[in-house]
Amino acid sequence: MAPRPYEGDVIRLRAREESDARDFYRWINDWETIKYLGQRYPRSMPFERSAMTAGDPTYGLAQFIVETRAGRKAIGWIGLHDASPEDRAASLGIAIGEAEFLDGGYGTDAMRTACKVGFEVMNYNRIDLTVYDWNPRAIRVYEKVGFQHEGVLREGIWKAGRWHNLVLMSLLRGELR
Amino acid sequence: MKRQGDDRASEWPESRFQGRLVRLRAREPEDEALLFEWFNDPDVTEHLSMRYPISHKGEREFLVRSADVGYNNINFAIETLTDGTMIGGCDLHRVSAENRSGVLGIAIGDKAFWDGGYGTDAMRTLVRFGFDMLNLHRIELDVYANNLRAQHVYEKIGFQFEARKRKAIYKFGEYQDVLVMGILEGELRLDD
Repeated sequence: MAPRPYEGDVIRLRAREESDARDFYRWINDWETIKYLGQRYPRSMPFERSAMTAGDPTYGLAQFIVETRAGRKAIGWIGLHDASPEDRAASLGIAIGEAEFLDGGYGTDAMRTACKVGFEVMNYNRIDLTVYDWNPRAIRVYEKVGFQHEGVLREGIWKAGRWHNLVLMSLLRGELR
Repeated sequence: MKRQGDDRASEWPESRFQGRLVRLRAREPEDEALLFEWFNDPDVTEHLSMRYPISHKGEREFLVRSADVGYNNINFAIETLTDGTMIGGCDLHRVSAENRSGVLGIAIGDKAFWDGGYGTDAMRTLVRFGFDMLNLHRIELDVYANNLRAQHVYEKIGFQFEARKRKAIYKFGEYQDVLVMGILEGELRLDD
């Protein structure tokens, strides 16, 4: 069987379609989803429709829909962005918008799959991310997948009326578990 | 130890464009010749992210982009107070209004001014400008792990080591770690 880099155990990554705008609109305006992200403004349907059709995944910016393999249900998104070909490095962002899929290993599987894509398809050497220091659940997932702690950006972001520290984590080629 | 805001900082000029040795000014078209010379000099770019030769046209366009100074485009030439010799440049980029944060970049292109405290003074002047004139809360920078000299300067004026990005940059045939350093409002040390 040919390699299937976009398939995990329970999820698959696929390109965004205009028909995903409705789900995205719901997720991006849901505080329970965006409180863990940098996102801070409401988004309109036209904005999300144009975002969905802004471009298919490429080396420099690869945004994917995370969908379940079983029911092909869109449950969130994951993206690799700001890739530098010389440094072979990129940054990662993820969100699971459907609350009932926060458990069950979907996020972990999406992380592993996207990182595998980063190493095997894009030929990255390094993938990094930042996460709020009060989000131990996400940090545990990143650690489990192989990400290492690199430091803390003190008061790196202002959101919801206060400063937040950002934990910087990274995964190098060969460290993915 | 003296910090921003205490009485001895009054030794500093009231002008937020000015330090004790240097002044920050807007870029001018006439700066092009020196920029071309400096940023094609491997000794100058060794510890910068630049890795390609740059043309006269590239420098001219950079100067046009830089001329319109504002909140989202902080980019200055550094010149000496004594005779106005341009010795380098500096900037604050990725300025975020919500986070009140920015990323600092600096280069002293004239090697005759690599010693004597000019870089330190320019750093202090730019950070002070960021806090006092832009109302920033946090300024960060990236520095290559092997650039101990720069790290020493940043530490001396109040930057703290926050993170070590493993193998984050590839130059000269090898990966190298990049250190992230950050300074918050109230942490700037205006005196040694």
